[in-house]
Amino acid sequence: MEGFSLNFIELQEYQPNRYPFLMIDHVEEVIPGKSAKGHKNLTLNEWYFPKHFPGAPNMPGALQLEALAQMLTVAITTLPGLQGKVTHALQHTVRFRKEVLPGQTLKIETTVISWKRGICKGRGVGYTDGEIACEADMLITIPEILDQYLPKSSK
Amino acid sequence: MTNREKYVQVFVDSFSVNPDQLDENFVYQCVPEWDSIGHMGMIASLEETFDIMMETDDIIDFGSFTKGIELLAKYDVTI
Repeated sequence: MEGFSLNFIELQEYQPNRYPFLMIDHVEEVIPGKSAKGHKNLTLNEWYFPKHFPGAPNMPGALQLEALAQMLTVAITTLPGLQGKVTHALQHTVRFRKEVLPGQTLKIETTVISWKRGICKGRGVGYTDGEIACEADMLITIPEILDQYLPKSSK
Repeated sequence: MTNREKYVQVFVDSFSVNPDQLDENFVYQCVPEWDSIGHMGMIASLEETFDIMMETDDIIDFGSFTKGIELLAKYDVTI
């Protein structure tokens, strides 16, 4: 499949999160089923900076991880028939390497390692100023698809 | 390794159980590890181990250790 970009309006067709939880601003290039990369711009106006932390604002690690997961989601929901599907996180292993600060751009690169039966295994890396800020191995699912493959509960 | 040993090993690796636990009472969701994700991991591991591709209906029917033995026979895998 050919790659294409998504602006802040277009990406919302493939990413169901909304303010204050939409953690990506722009998708530079998505290759459906393979990869997605783009960025999140951070201004001091972000809703979490006043409390995280007063006098030393930095992007919460959980939200950095969320940004990586949202970008990976776009790599899946741009596949035919999956537009607008809700995804859930299953398992993430993340490492934070440096603080992500107001005024910086968090550049995000994600890769799909596998996509099968509603489960996506992928990897994401976030960069600020050319250095790795966070990286994660992620497992996300589209429950609507996954549920089609499960035995009936024994309980 | 025999097919049975391979089959048991997939369960042991997927669900962190002792081989002694694997009998007709070992069913979907009987241990926390055999949840939706564990199920898909186990199916993927069986496909790789026995070089097969399971059909959707069989993945859904695969609700127990013993039922799996019956289903794998459809793919010429005798446990």
